[in-house]
Amino acid sequence: MATEMIAGRPRAESHTLRTEEERLRTHLEQQLRVRTRFAPLSDVRALLVSSDRADRPKSLVVSSSASVAERIYLYVHVAAHIALGHNLPLVTIVEGAPGMARFTDASRHREAEELARAIWWGQTDKGGLLGAPAFAQRHPVLRRLLASEAARGAIRSLLIGMRHVYYDLRVERALAGSRLAAWLRDALCLTAVVCVAPQLSD
Amino acid sequence: MRIQNAQRVSEAIQTLSAGTSLDTLVDRLYDLTDGTLALDRATLHRIARGKTQVARAIDSPEECIRLYFALMILGCERELSVTSIAEEGHAVLAGFVGEPLASLIFRDLAATLPKLTDRNTLKEYLEEGLRVWLPK
Repeated sequence: MATEMIAGRPRAESHTLRTEEERLRTHLEQQLRVRTRFAPLSDVRALLVSSDRADRPKSLVVSSSASVAERIYLYVHVAAHIALGHNLPLVTIVEGAPGMARFTDASRHREAEELARAIWWGQTDKGGLLGAPAFAQRHPVLRRLLASEAARGAIRSLLIGMRHVYYDLRVERALAGSRLAAWLRDALCLTAVVCVAPQLSD
Repeated sequence: MRIQNAQRVSEAIQTLSAGTSLDTLVDRLYDLTDGTLALDRATLHRIARGKTQVARAIDSPEECIRLYFALMILGCERELSVTSIAEEGHAVLAGFVGEPLASLIFRDLAATLPKLTDRNTLKEYLEEGLRVWLPK
């Protein structure tokens, strides 16, 4: 659940992450009828407010202090709650702020966490629309490495270093459509999300 | 819709509006509910003063629920305590739709309140609660 998110890490609000966040937000709205907005919430990370029926629109309020990577994680987690029917009938899902004590509905959040992990790694979401970039799902080595806290930090630093080199060499135009650039983008996005929500890793 | 305890509903509205004039209260309710409340100004005045048990224009529980959320948002804006907002909101809803349905709706607020420590977050929750009950 959101209480497990690690705050204080350097943000990587890259264009790739922002695009991914927007894509997932659109997916939630179009497929699950979840309208998202951002507000300054001091005591919680997000609120999913639902009515009495599954086919009615739902509202997700996300703390405006949540980073883009945290938002991506929250969308996957909220989609898992909806898939499990935790929001029905008339049940508000509250995602606590980091460091806050677990709520009484901790078991539901644990269930959602397990499903979110499966969605993220492409095990349940057939279209792959809510999961990590497809490249990462096909890359078991990266997945294994991200399971270790020490390796996560090292990989993140390495990837950010590679991004610096990529831009410093001024080859971005030449390589923009290349597999290398796509790999770097996907790996950075995946690593950023798993770094803020390590429970997504194995 | 027949109000089951007009006096208690009136007291709850007066508490939640915390000294706001009736006209200002009604304007704000219309704003918050995007003009979807079928009650006219005069009837709302009479309900707030406890002078009527009949709110003919309201014919669905959804409208009562919108009124419940809107009045509690008003309570947040008037900086009432969270406990007071919840109690008075419950009284309004129970007065309109009866205790069984009110309890069903109120159960979510009762379960959510302990997880919120900030009045602003409560207001965000209430605003979204109201939004999901607005007509399409």
